[in-house]
Amino acid sequence: MVMEDLLGKTFDEFPMQTDWDAIIIGAGPNGLMTGAYLAKAGARVAVIERRYEIGGGLATEEVLFPCYYSNIHAIYHMMVDYMPAVQDFDLDRHAITWIKPNLQTGMVFEDGSSLLMTRMVEDTVDSMHKFSHKDAVAYGRLIRHWNKMMSDILGPATYLPPVASVDLMVALQRTEIGRELLEVNERSPYDLITSHFENEKIRALLLYSACMWGLDPNETGVGLFVPLLLTRAMSKAYCHGGSHKLAGALAREILRNGGVILEAAQVNKINTQNGNVTGVELWEGRTLNAKVVISSLDPHSTFYDLIGKDKLPKSMDNAFENWLYDKWSYYTLHTVSKEQPKYKCDDPWVNESFMTVFGFENEQDVVAHWKNVMAGKLDKKFGGHATCESFWDEHLVRGPKPAEISFFQMHAPYDIEGGWDKKSGELQEEVLAKWEKVAPNMNRDNIMMTMAETPKDIEIRLPNMRRGGIKHGDYTPMQLGFNRPNIECSSSNTPIGGLYLCGASNYPGGMVTGGPGYIAANKVAEDMGLQKWWKPTPLMDRYLKTYFG
Amino acid sequence: MNKEEKFDFVIVGGGPNGVTLAAYLSKCGASVCVLEERPEAGGGCENTEPIAGVRINPHAMFLYGGAAPGFDQLELWRYGFRGQPNRLGDLTEDVGRGCPTTSGNYPISDIDQMGYAKVSGLLGQPPFIRELLRATFWCPPHPPEVEVTAHNIPYMQVYKKHQPDVWSEELLEMDMFDLMDEYLDTEPFKVQQAVISWYSGAAGHWKGVAIPAWMCNVALVIYSRMTVPRGGMHDYFHAVMRCAVAHGTVVRTCCKVEEIMINDGVAVGVRMADTATCGEKKIWAKKAVISGVDVRQTFNKLVGPQHVDRGLLQKVNDISLKGGSIYVSHILSREPLKVKDKFPGMVGGCYPMDHRDIYYDHVADVDGRKGNPSIPPERAMWLSTPYERFDWSDPQVSRPEGHIMSPIYHLVPPPEYHVDGPDAMNKWKDGMWDYVVKSMSEVYTNLNSDNVIAHWANSPYDSTFRNTGLIGGTWCGTRHCDDQWGERRPIPELARYRTPIDGLYLCNQTACHPGGLFLMAIPYNLMHIMIEDGLVEPGEWWYPSPWYIPEQGKNPAKRQ
Ligand SMILES: Cc1cc2nc3c(=O)[nH]c(=O)nc-3n(C[C@H](O)[C@H](O)[C@H](O)COP(=O)(O)OP(=O)(O)OC[C@H]3O[C@@H](n4cnc5c(N)ncnc54)[C@H](O)[C@@H]3O)c2cc1C
Ligand SMILES: Cc1cc2nc3c(=O)[nH]c(=O)nc-3n(C[C@H](O)[C@H](O)[C@H](O)COP(=O)(O)OP(=O)(O)OC[C@H]3O[C@@H](n4cnc5c(N)ncnc54)[C@H](O)[C@@H]3O)c2cc1C
Repeated sequence: MVMEDLLGKTFDEFPMQTDWDAIIIGAGPNGLMTGAYLAKAGARVAVIERRYEIGGGLATEEVLFPCYYSNIHAIYHMMVDYMPAVQDFDLDRHAITWIKPNLQTGMVFEDGSSLLMTRMVEDTVDSMHKFSHKDAVAYGRLIRHWNKMMSDILGPATYLPPVASVDLMVALQRTEIGRELLEVNERSPYDLITSHFENEKIRALLLYSACMWGLDPNETGVGLFVPLLLTRAMSKAYCHGGSHKLAGALAREILRNGGVILEAAQVNKINTQNGNVTGVELWEGRTLNAKVVISSLDPHSTFYDLIGKDKLPKSMDNAFENWLYDKWSYYTLHTVSKEQPKYKCDDPWVNESFMTVFGFENEQDVVAHWKNVMAGKLDKKFGGHATCESFWDEHLVRGPKPAEISFFQMHAPYDIEGGWDKKSGELQEEVLAKWEKVAPNMNRDNIMMTMAETPKDIEIRLPNMRRGGIKHGDYTPMQLGFNRPNIECSSSNTPIGGLYLCGASNYPGGMVTGGPGYIAANKVAEDMGLQKWWKPTPLMDRYLKTYFG
Repeated sequence: MNKEEKFDFVIVGGGPNGVTLAAYLSKCGASVCVLEERPEAGGGCENTEPIAGVRINPHAMFLYGGAAPGFDQLELWRYGFRGQPNRLGDLTEDVGRGCPTTSGNYPISDIDQMGYAKVSGLLGQPPFIRELLRATFWCPPHPPEVEVTAHNIPYMQVYKKHQPDVWSEELLEMDMFDLMDEYLDTEPFKVQQAVISWYSGAAGHWKGVAIPAWMCNVALVIYSRMTVPRGGMHDYFHAVMRCAVAHGTVVRTCCKVEEIMINDGVAVGVRMADTATCGEKKIWAKKAVISGVDVRQTFNKLVGPQHVDRGLLQKVNDISLKGGSIYVSHILSREPLKVKDKFPGMVGGCYPMDHRDIYYDHVADVDGRKGNPSIPPERAMWLSTPYERFDWSDPQVSRPEGHIMSPIYHLVPPPEYHVDGPDAMNKWKDGMWDYVVKSMSEVYTNLNSDNVIAHWANSPYDSTFRNTGLIGGTWCGTRHCDDQWGERRPIPELARYRTPIDGLYLCNQTACHPGGLFLMAIPYNLMHIMIEDGLVEPGEWWYPSPWYIPEQGKNPAKRQ
């Protein structure tokens, strides 16, 4: 019995064919950012998300089921001070607030000693004095320069289109801090840190903080990332209520300005005609037409899977054959315990730090771990970072108390000796043993629930994070700046008419910066002739005036 | 930081009912703020992915509300609402399969089919099933001055008009079994219908609610055809929330409300918990505060005993939670679960349907003895979704290996009535898992440790924590029995969504007719009342229920 014959149409659904001004593929931080700006500029936008929930890397979900929420991907928001969206949108309306604690990172060592990295410089310096007066003094001096590089150049440049390296070099010559930055850029992270600091523990903390988001410590030509990432490491903020709140706020900005968001909707194909995009097709058979399609996915997904190699212009033959995915991904162990981890160390402030690093006794340990990861293996001498999320956010606990939610996260290879199915369980035991060693209360009596997330799992949740790549592509000189993802596409537009890129594989890269999304919004708005309702931030203005005015 | 914020309406709780009301009110042009305490709005309609690539449905699963006026009044299609076809909805297959009993599938007779079709309004010319459903769910209770009789109860009027031979005074005395004994034929088919109804709101054994119980069943099985919205019930919820936001509603998550502020007997706003993720914790309501959270919390905590008389509070605390607390299991298995040969073609559903004695045994166990199951697992009743990848049509189920069965339901006592204390089921989770496996292994051959990759369970106790509104961890919040239905839901004094406090209205499944399920019915019904009170004026898109009777001395919610 076909009910339709008997009852007629029962309820209406989203039509099979619809027309839009712009379609955005992927509702991660960048896709949402682009969408929010364009919708408010009057474009009719449709944002298409494959998962059942928007957010991409901004996910706060009940993965410790039942009752306990965790920020499974991004938790540390490091660009809140620079992100133009904070000034441009009325985020208060959506009850968005960030917590940026002074005690940012604590590092604990086997001998019970510890180090702190803090938002306010002098607390870090005080802590370094325990190990080396020379390093402490050097840090105090250096970090002032690096903070300036960040606020004057690197921060604002995150939200402006990339500039060809030659032009950038010329521009930066204009100021002293610019020239210093150019010098820094020539060097490898390892070289930079070991040349400025002598103590092995201090080196370990700084090297880990600078490279933890995916820099190769021995790569030259990426040195500007050291001040960038170290200052970011001092500026980690927690979005109160969970990372997903930011996604929700941006999504609501899209909706209130007439946009539409489809979830559980996978784009299977970007339609093109005569070298121009005409819209997208969804897995479920729906078609959305538009002259502008903006993809936040990795280059393989966008160009090979969705457009198709045969539809690419000649110039793009093999453009992304050699695209390198991230050298390392993450293995994360999420836990629910009765008590929060209590680290056994000489400084009680470590227990109030946003992030706690352990497993490394010196910078060689840090490097050795990464070498292992790059070789596809892990040995017992691994290290990583942990956060007790519920310490910062009571909203994550929705079950009987006492209960605390924490995670430990470490760099791990996508392809691992023995395979993740087997390795994940073993590693869980090793992580717990190591955790208990530094925080004795993290024992079996205390821990009530665990959930391990491997690099393969990251890719299953978000297939655009290929090989578990959290930035949709490695940070190497050939994949950074004007070269990200390549010269033709790094300014958001592409050789295919109406196709734009707005995700982490574009300049300025991964993480919750909103940079690629903001830059794409600007470019699309200009090309579509939309009135820009927003203005650059004062820092961006000053940067433009100083270096390009 | 926002200072002195004022909205026309402040809604406490971002569950399906609160947010649907927000969509209605903001579509009328009002300014609306919704405050939700969890990291995600949606209440009982939620999804989660406890391991990568495996999406489970902790609570709601199926669309029951296909007949809701909300689909066209709120134009949900615009905001991305999509359904998805599914094998359970194929009625021909369903009818051919029969009902699973301990001795195998038992055929459904022609009389069963004709009787079922008749009471469901399918035999009218044209069929009047939609009218019947709307009359049952989408009409506010009659005002207190109206005497409720077999002549003016909306669904009775529909039978009278379209199928007069079904109409009788006695219909109002019956339970669903009585009704089925009159119209149906085989015992297993009857038991199956009663079980579906029990799991859907109004149970088959409650006197006086035969038709409401029947309609819970029909809403799912016939009218909404076992539709699972694309992306699950949560994404259906999202379509409603997006409609609200598109019309200007402000939704704030992680903002728990602690107090409904009352000034001279009038609700004037709310105060949030200190932990709320915003600066100023007070929000003022110019026109009304609406409580979208459970009725107990509303009066005991948010309003507080200082503003309610003890008699009313007693009645509120006596409201029965029985009748739908569910222990929910989710299984990820390597191979699809295989049924025994005696159940050809079975794709989930409920078991065992032999005889109503089994059903009554469960009533005795769950609501009488109020303890952990004492029925042997071989006779335990359960209801499940198909054993294939439930979302086989959805690339969201993207784990390379594995098949999901989620959710699987076993009825248990509400935690706060449990004889061994509210956490008794939680302490017994391992035992319950064995029980679940044993009970399901009556049908499935390969539910064993080799095959099961992972399993999860959320007990009603968990539900009351995860979701404060789900008191009793029930489908329906509070029993849909005759004492708590229609003009008596949740208690006569509160039946028309108004409260003794001016400017405070109720909009939650536990507090309002027609109770549980995401039907968009409570907000639609409440709209009539808010129009009566002159709080909103909807545009051309609004139409009231044809059976609605305006209260004397108020603005009728009808077009002049
Ligand atoms: C474990 C982990 C921890 C991290 N921690 C941090 C942190 O602490 N701080 C930080 O700043 N960053 C962190 N990151 C990195 C950060 O999450 C990402 O760099 C960021 O999310 C990239 O944003 P995006 O919008 O470009 O892409 P994404 O967030 O990847 O979003 C892309 C979206 O596209 C969707 N999609 C994929 N394919 C399709 C398709 N075919 N059709 C439609 N939609 C599709 C995806 O489902 C996804 O939602 C972390 C990442 C991981 C995995
Ligand atoms: C196991 C199970 C299965 C179900 N299956 C189905 C199904 O298949 N189909 C179907 O249609 N329905 C189903 N339901 C029923 C459906 O989930 C509920 O009827 C529906 O969620 C009720 O909506 P509500 O808005 O009245 O209340 P709720 O969903 O309880 O929403 C109340 C909201 O208020 C919030 N809240 C509570 N206190 C506060 C406070 N102080 N401050 C701020 N916010 C607060 C809560 O967090 C919650 O989000 C099922 C329910 C259960 C338990």
